[in-house]
Amino acid sequence: MSSNKPNMTPENASPQYIPGSAGGENEKKPGVRISSGNRADNSTPGSKILGEPIMEVRGLNLSYSGKQALKNINIAFLKNRITALIGPSGCGKSTLLRCLNRMNDLVDGVEITGETLFGGRNIYQPFIHVSELRKTVGMVFQKSNPFPKSIFENVAYGPRIHGVKNQSDLGGLVERSLKAAALWEEVRDRLHDSALGLSGGQQQRLCIARALAVEPEVLLMDEPCSALDPIATAKIEDLMGDLKDKYTIIIVTHNMQQAARVSDFTGFMLMGELVEFGVTTKLFQNPDDKRTIDYITGRFG
Amino acid sequence: MSQISEAPGNHGSLENDNAGGEGSGPLLPPPSVINLTEKSLAIRLRRDALARHTVTFGGMAVICSILAILFVIVAEVYPLFKKPTSRHLLAFNLPKDAGKPLATAVDEYRETAVIFTTSGALMADLKKGTIIKRASIPGIGGTSVVSASSSGKDSFILGLANGRAVTVRAQFNVSYPQDGQRKVEPEIDAGEPVVVDESGAPLNLTHSVEGERGLVIVAATGPDELTLLTVKKSKSLVDDGKTQTVATRLSIPIEGVISELELDSRGEEALAGTSKGEVVRLNIGDDGSLQIAEMIKAVSSQNARITVLGNLLGDRTLIVGDSNGGVSSWQIVKDKSNQLRLAKIHDFTPHSRAVTAFSPSLRNKGFVTADESGEVFVRYGTSGETLLRADSAQGPVVTLTMAPKSDGIVCVDEKGSLHHIEVVNPHPEITIATLFKKMWYEGYEKPEYVWQSTGGTDDFEPKLSLVPLIFGTLKGTLYAMLFAIPLSLLAALYTSQFMHPSVRSFVKPAVEVMAALPSVVLGFIAGLWLAPIMEKATPGFFLLPIVAPAMILAAAFAWKTLAPLRLRSRIMSGMEIVILVPTLIAAGILSFWMGGLLEWSFLGGDYRQWVREAMGLTYDQRNSLVVGLAMGFAVIPIIFTITEDSLANIPPHLRAGSLALGATPWQTAIRVILPAASPGIFSAIMIGFGRAVGETMIVLMATGNTPVMDWSVFNGFRALSANIAVELPEAPEQGTLYRVLFLAALLLFMMTFFVNTLAEIVRLRLRKRYSSL
Repeated sequence: MSSNKPNMTPENASPQYIPGSAGGENEKKPGVRISSGNRADNSTPGSKILGEPIMEVRGLNLSYSGKQALKNINIAFLKNRITALIGPSGCGKSTLLRCLNRMNDLVDGVEITGETLFGGRNIYQPFIHVSELRKTVGMVFQKSNPFPKSIFENVAYGPRIHGVKNQSDLGGLVERSLKAAALWEEVRDRLHDSALGLSGGQQQRLCIARALAVEPEVLLMDEPCSALDPIATAKIEDLMGDLKDKYTIIIVTHNMQQAARVSDFTGFMLMGELVEFGVTTKLFQNPDDKRTIDYITGRFG
Repeated sequence: MSQISEAPGNHGSLENDNAGGEGSGPLLPPPSVINLTEKSLAIRLRRDALARHTVTFGGMAVICSILAILFVIVAEVYPLFKKPTSRHLLAFNLPKDAGKPLATAVDEYRETAVIFTTSGALMADLKKGTIIKRASIPGIGGTSVVSASSSGKDSFILGLANGRAVTVRAQFNVSYPQDGQRKVEPEIDAGEPVVVDESGAPLNLTHSVEGERGLVIVAATGPDELTLLTVKKSKSLVDDGKTQTVATRLSIPIEGVISELELDSRGEEALAGTSKGEVVRLNIGDDGSLQIAEMIKAVSSQNARITVLGNLLGDRTLIVGDSNGGVSSWQIVKDKSNQLRLAKIHDFTPHSRAVTAFSPSLRNKGFVTADESGEVFVRYGTSGETLLRADSAQGPVVTLTMAPKSDGIVCVDEKGSLHHIEVVNPHPEITIATLFKKMWYEGYEKPEYVWQSTGGTDDFEPKLSLVPLIFGTLKGTLYAMLFAIPLSLLAALYTSQFMHPSVRSFVKPAVEVMAALPSVVLGFIAGLWLAPIMEKATPGFFLLPIVAPAMILAAAFAWKTLAPLRLRSRIMSGMEIVILVPTLIAAGILSFWMGGLLEWSFLGGDYRQWVREAMGLTYDQRNSLVVGLAMGFAVIPIIFTITEDSLANIPPHLRAGSLALGATPWQTAIRVILPAASPGIFSAIMIGFGRAVGETMIVLMATGNTPVMDWSVFNGFRALSANIAVELPEAPEQGTLYRVLFLAALLLFMMTFFVNTLAEIVRLRLRKRYSSL
């Protein structure tokens, strides 16, 4: 599946529109200015304002029980943009994603160094409430994981745990979230049926609705379509385009066509390193790194 | 496999495979190393079939043996509830010239009978239906017998036409003259005639007993006059001893005439029935005096006369039969003003005609009654049930005797025809009612559930109510579950969701090892070590559920506010146990210390006395609290380990999904993990429940095993299982107790079967709901 050459539109492939901070020693000011390239990107050192970064990763190293999985990652994610992370299996793209809402905390023996900034604060500092962070940085998983509850209860779960008790508030929130996830029309008549009775694509959109119900700012998507058929995949991709207006989306995918179709920026990872990061069209049409070329042309992966 | 199709020469059958491989040249791919010969395939298929059949056989064997066990138990229980049957063995006419039959005696084997008639005695062979010999009563001269009444096994008193009475005894001499063939030879023993009525009028109604007080005879010597005669032989070493006779006459203020008499076997009480349906109870003093204790109307209808009065075995239940056919049982009970009074216990199914004869069983509280129309009923005193109708006689029954083993009836009707009826009723005392309903036992003030299988005397009636035992089982289970469920569920939740994996990896096996402790060891420790300690520390124990959580909360608060952030973040991920364990130990010490303090300051220094006075409960050292702890200890590992497994087996993506929404681990555990694991948790609790219900050794050793019905924690109880263990060694095989114990086993089986089936059904339903996780 990785051997397909990306099918891209030729316009706006300008090399200078490249976000990403240039290493830990780069500007301390979060936001506003984004310098081009990363460690692997030796293109134009000049920078261009593309938007406001909402999350930044600086010099991140991660190891599982002594085995290094991420090596000195530096990347920034822009607000209301879709950033895709691609790379072969085991390259660390999911691990990087899970660092952004501290889901790696659940794994035993993880050691993390470096900074992961959200709103200018390192989310790994002890006083950070993980619960609050994860409310703001939501996540959709590879395998849809609705709770064994009704559709309504699935969506209402997040608001409930954050203290929403009023039934009409909950009802409104559920409806808004399901509409935002483009599921409302399909399930409005059976909100109180078990969520496990939905199809795979519906379940995944329900999980998106569930994540949206807690009103996050960033939505992390970990290969959200890998278990879905092409029609369901298309629906979710359409949905991502709609969600972009309100949310920042970071998606991990090993489907390069998908990355090319939906994302504004793409990072290519290999063996725990961020090899190349830039505007999607540029990365797919005119990559700088030899390894990127090899990967997107299907020589390995 | 693809190599096979690629290699030339390999297109043939599988046998050619080898040949093709050998013959191929060096450039061809190497021959396949996988040789699928028909032989190897056949071997594999045979092994597969063998394994399948072995497994099927094993499974079927398990099912069959369980069914066989069930069958054995049911087969042992079944006779308890089998309907009693009777068979009319024989009827033959007594010689017309032998006089009117008055009373009969039967030997143990129901081979011979002695029939006392107005002109003497007849010995009859009950097998052949013939008269063996006729005898006259020795020492009565020419007078005839006018009445006879039974005064115990094979003993009678005969009232004579000249106002005298004579005691007679039918003796059955058993010998084995040849080939071990049994031969029963009846014989009659008669005492000296005693003058009862000096006026010489015939003694139509008389009764006697012989006991510690000597021979006590009571007779009706007038329409409302009773004569009491006490004949005492003083024992003397010098001569034969003197006979001392005391006679008392008493007129009783009744409306009608005396129609029936009865004496208790100790000679302390006389009862007289009247033609107006009254029963007069009279006390007999040590000096031979008579005193009316009570007069009571004992029949329901106005004009019925009392025709039958008789005590059941043990002389505590009086059976009253009347001319309308009514039969009722009475006992002496304390009334509201603390007076001893006769009280009606049961009304039996009435006869259609006047009751004419009665005979008690010599083994239990059963009896038979017969009436003018020839109906014979077999009844049971305690349950008040009429078990069997064994008709045979035509016309009024004059005399009726229940065989000594209560397995037969001999009666003679007015026409002089003798009937021998066999009764098959080995367990008359057991009915659904006696097992599961309140019974008014002799000597009790009201109906109660009682389990008391053995007693000190021969006439003791086993009281076999299963209700106190079922209650005991449920009580023990309840207290064990009260202790075990919260602890094991919370422990499992903590272990699976919050504990650090490295701690968990030794906590879980350690708890599982608890399950390997033999329950006899647990029971032994609980009964001999824990019970005395608990006796001292009970108030502290009751404080523990308050003190421990309070201490833990305080410790958590102190930790959060006082400990430096760096230290906290390093330790606080699943390693709370480091702080928890010392806190818990401290809480234990503190609550036992506070318990002592509480006892001194508020409970007057001795909580047991306080419990007795303020709560009205008695304190047993081996009580339900100890059992709850010990049995809880046995049940905790089961519930814990199954619950922990089912919690840990919840797919991690559910947990991740909840945490990713910002839920705390606690919210995740309670709202997502627990509901999803509910099938497993439910079956864990049910399996623990089943274990507690069937647990034997702990309840046997840690309670006093008294079958009381009382929810108090400070009391013991007796469980079904412990009861089987205690009583089965002493229950005679095939006996009533033996079968009732099997019934208890069947009940236990059914209880666990019910619980497990319920658990399985609920588990399957819940699992269906959560199946597509």
